[in-house]
Amino acid sequence: MNNITLGKYIPLDSPIHRMDPRAKIIAMFVLMICIFIPTGFYGYGVIALILVICCLMAKLELTYILRSFKPMLLMMLFLSVVNAFFIKTGDPLFTFKGFTLYSGAITQTLYIVLRLMLMIIITTLLTATTKPLDMTLGIEDLLSPLQKLHFPTHDVAMMISLALRFIPQLLEEAERIIKAQASRGVDMENGSIREKIRAILSLIVPLFVSCFQKADDLADAMEARGYVVGARRVRYKQLKLRFGDVMTIILVNVLMAGFIFAAVWLRKNNAI
Amino acid sequence: MSIRFEKVDHEYSPKTPFAFLALQDIDLEFTEGKITAVIGATGSGKTTLVQHLNGLLLPTKGSVTVGEHTIKAGEKLKNVKDLRKNVGLVFQFAEYQLFEETILKDVAFGPQNFGVDELTANEAAKRALKTVGIDEADYEKSPLELSGGQKRRVAIAGILAMQPRLLVLDEPTAGLDPQGAKNMMELFRSINKKSGITIIIVTHNMEHVLDYCDETVILEKGKVIFHDTAREFFENPQYMERARIDAPNIIRFKELCRQRGLEFDRDTLSIEQLARQVAARRKKK
Repeated sequence: MNNITLGKYIPLDSPIHRMDPRAKIIAMFVLMICIFIPTGFYGYGVIALILVICCLMAKLELTYILRSFKPMLLMMLFLSVVNAFFIKTGDPLFTFKGFTLYSGAITQTLYIVLRLMLMIIITTLLTATTKPLDMTLGIEDLLSPLQKLHFPTHDVAMMISLALRFIPQLLEEAERIIKAQASRGVDMENGSIREKIRAILSLIVPLFVSCFQKADDLADAMEARGYVVGARRVRYKQLKLRFGDVMTIILVNVLMAGFIFAAVWLRKNNAI
Repeated sequence: MSIRFEKVDHEYSPKTPFAFLALQDIDLEFTEGKITAVIGATGSGKTTLVQHLNGLLLPTKGSVTVGEHTIKAGEKLKNVKDLRKNVGLVFQFAEYQLFEETILKDVAFGPQNFGVDELTANEAAKRALKTVGIDEADYEKSPLELSGGQKRRVAIAGILAMQPRLLVLDEPTAGLDPQGAKNMMELFRSINKKSGITIIIVTHNMEHVLDYCDETVILEKGKVIFHDTAREFFENPQYMERARIDAPNIIRFKELCRQRGLEFDRDTLSIEQLARQVAARRKKK
């Protein structure tokens, strides 16, 4: 359970950690858009370079980033196999028993895999350097223009922060129940299908019971402290954009503009 | 069944920013047939220690021997089922592990997992439920209908039904009312007396240690700082202070008397003995 790295905050002190969450969310969002602007491998190279610099600045270890790829490995493998069979563009590379592998399949697969990896690094970078609470504050602020349309931004932010807050606790709870049932001889890995279903039930039922109980307790605790759904509220923690944050937002937007120009130019010259 | 820790270290999330050394260089041998209390401040490694006993956690250094099983660092666990059948581990707030439709089914779940047929498992379940004092009329009820204390009893019966040779209890009385907690401790003592199985109890309650336990192990920051008889422990109050534990009422009472110039023998640890001494002194005057 402890080796799930995707989406976990790493408490360190770095310039990236200290950034305003709003600036970080915007920057990551713009970088994501950049990934989808067709600039070929050149563009990916530029983004990868920027991300490597960011990771170094955030003092994140390379092994940590690499580990967050693990859940995606199977998907990447599946993608490459499917692509190898269905993409028939580019030059034929070799033929084996009636199956021909085209160069297009290889480049396409590489594109997709690289794109996925870059996206994972971007999200990991965001979640690893931003406290969940700061993240929700940032999201709430960024959504605030929608309030004019009577969109309940605060409620949405509250829901997100509650959900985020309970993830580690539920993981811990699940681990505890798995251990308790393992002590009673439950084997989650081996056994017949019937035994496996029972093993999973022995985890899910207690987890549901405790989830409902926790939700109830939390609702009571919130109401006891005067929380009213939809009431106007002020906030203790105020976010402040600093010079570096503004610069970052400007820089990523310049970068995006550059990507768009590069894409147009490359298309005109048939470079990709 | 011998239970021995040899130079055991346990590190959580090694090689990550979250790495934490929870146990350090543990050398420990639990005495067979006795009730041993494991005490220490929150975060001192008590739960980590006991979870090594049935292989839920593996040592990152050293080895743990439980009967014929040896769990060595860096080696894969062999014959886990047999180990877990012999070591009954009751978790903190064990009532959260109940999931079956009826109490009887839930208690019989353990033995069935260890390959006992349904009939025999039900027999064992009924015996265990009787031991913990659950009424036969309740056997077909849903475990979720019971009160907190009763749920806890059912959960403990679920472990007893496996007929373990070593019973490990992680704070079995946490959250129970004083009378319920006392009954629970009486239950463990009677199990220990009747079948002679070794019992290890993680607890914060010094009254329980004083009244029911034979030996005491104190953990401090993942290290064993004391292992001796409970009597020896209570005669040396400095250990209680070190482990940041409130002394039992009788020890505090003696300490208050001493401050006011009334000394009692160090080994006076029951109210009856104390009362007798007070009476004897009055007679002398």
